[in-house]
Amino acid sequence: MTHLSLRGLTKLYPGADKPAIDNLNIEVESGSLVALLGPSGCGKTTTMKMIAGLLKPSGGDILFDDTSILQIPPEKRGAVMVFQNYLLFPYMTVAQNVGYGLKMRKTDQATIDRRVDEMLELVKLPGMGARKPKELSGGQQQRIALARALIVNPNLLLLDEPLSNLDAHLRFEMRDLIREIQKSMGITTIFVTHDQEEAAVLADRIALILNGTLQQYDTPMALYHQPTSREIAQFFGGVNFLQGRQDGGVFTCDLGQFDVPRANGPGDGVLTIRPEDITIAEADGPNTVSGTVASHIYVGTHSRLKVRVGEAMFDVIADASAIQTYGDGQPIRLAFPPQKLWVLPPGGTE
Amino acid sequence: MDWEKIRIPLMLAPTMLIITVLFFGSLGYGLLQSFGYNPAIGTTEMSLEAYRSVLFSAEVAPVFWPGLWLSLWVAFASTFISAAIAIGVALLLRRTFVGKKLAVFFFQLNLPIPHLVIAVGMLMLFSQSGLVSRILGEMGIVTSPRDFPPLTQDAYGIGIILAYLWKEVAFFGIIVLAILQSLGEDYESVAQSLGANRWQRFRTVTLPLIMPGLMSASIIVFAFTFGTYEVPRILGVQHPKMLPVLALDFFLNPDLNARAEGMALSMIIAVIVFALVFVYMWITARTVRKA
Repeated sequence: MTHLSLRGLTKLYPGADKPAIDNLNIEVESGSLVALLGPSGCGKTTTMKMIAGLLKPSGGDILFDDTSILQIPPEKRGAVMVFQNYLLFPYMTVAQNVGYGLKMRKTDQATIDRRVDEMLELVKLPGMGARKPKELSGGQQQRIALARALIVNPNLLLLDEPLSNLDAHLRFEMRDLIREIQKSMGITTIFVTHDQEEAAVLADRIALILNGTLQQYDTPMALYHQPTSREIAQFFGGVNFLQGRQDGGVFTCDLGQFDVPRANGPGDGVLTIRPEDITIAEADGPNTVSGTVASHIYVGTHSRLKVRVGEAMFDVIADASAIQTYGDGQPIRLAFPPQKLWVLPPGGTE
Repeated sequence: MDWEKIRIPLMLAPTMLIITVLFFGSLGYGLLQSFGYNPAIGTTEMSLEAYRSVLFSAEVAPVFWPGLWLSLWVAFASTFISAAIAIGVALLLRRTFVGKKLAVFFFQLNLPIPHLVIAVGMLMLFSQSGLVSRILGEMGIVTSPRDFPPLTQDAYGIGIILAYLWKEVAFFGIIVLAILQSLGEDYESVAQSLGANRWQRFRTVTLPLIMPGLMSASIIVFAFTFGTYEVPRILGVQHPKMLPVLALDFFLNPDLNARAEGMALSMIIAVIVFALVFVYMWITARTVRKA
């Protein structure tokens, strides 16, 4: 189990006018799984390749258990990457692919054979050793790629969008398998993804990176419910924003006053509430507003409503039966539970 | 009738006809001549006499066998060394560096130059009376042309091999470079992160991945260097002669009776090339499987 520290990690590609990754600082606890989350091109894979040693940082340091590994060549770091497109060696059998790392370490063949069998059991593909990669499905290939990485007992497991080439059903299966194996083996794991749900389900902590800069590094729940900026809140899906001013436990805006859970100092702010946290109220009361339904969509498990309150438009996720009561133009009363409200500093883009 | 199904075969038919008539026609006629069938001089009875003469007679066998070994040596050495140099250069050219485009341009520059020109160039540069020898003479490093090592028109075919290297390294290189660029470096990165050092990565990843393309190119180069005439004619010696030169000598002999031996030699060249290509493919495929 390895503790990973990224200290001021920066990568500026030759000819680029801004760094692909800029002054990244992250501490990854031993045995934990951290997701590097962000849209395509934000610097996630660059970060991972620097950790693996496949790219040289322009600045900063990478430490395994408080020891810099920048001078250690990639093949000796024990940071094994699993790529998005599996990259199984097509001319080798599954068993040869899985045993590759041990063979490179000149491990005796009997041990390799035994460990390969163990790994195939672990990824739930026993007896597949004699097959060629082209005879496997995408999901099976990804499992073999995982087994190939795990067989060398890596210090650090680096997973680069390992689920993005799989269809929905396989993605869920593989996601569970990764989590199960990671927990049972206790390998410190970095997981790159652009899918916030995947990151939230898998990771102990998420490092959200936008435009090469770390925005927030926290638990999935904190990122979802207590984002530190409007951009972060928006990255995790539809959020309702209200400009206003907070003073103590009260937030005042055009729609009135709302009780908020944390008593920040007085100042301008942006009140946020997620669509699924808004409830439909039967009567007026604290933290309620009245409006009319602008549109509604039935999506099976729930209904999506757009509700106009004064000049503001709110996205609301209600239970599926709400669609029968609240048609377009119907009056509706919304309640904002205080414990679900979160006040952001002012600013940010709409 | 479903015209759609026969449309492509019909469109290919004229080309296939030309190939069939020219290739199999000439091969068939050559085979008949090697069996002694030559109506032009009134011989229509067929036998294996020309083959016996080439392989065992006191007149032809002493020039055939040394010629065969020389041809095999030149073809193997040219193919293997060209491929090895080309892989090394392609691995360097794949990297990003200042002046890469210029380097790639120079590397491929001699591709369109005919083998004949390369052979003459070799002679002018590296023969004992060539430019390099003269410059070294002017500098006092060699005192006479005889002191300069015989790099052309030598019994070991060094000049011929050098001429082929000059030309075929670029041919191999362009193929290997294209394969490497299309593959990218991810496979090697995986191997590296799994603990493979530089040599292990080359042996277990790069080489097996480029091998199919390399194998095809090797077959072409081997067949060409084994069977071509002009370079060994210019850069070779009177004895031993490479088989294609020998075959043409027989073919051009004013005595039309010698033509059967020339054709027998040509057929032997063809059979050897086919056999060696088959063995080469088998060995390479086996090596790739074992890697």
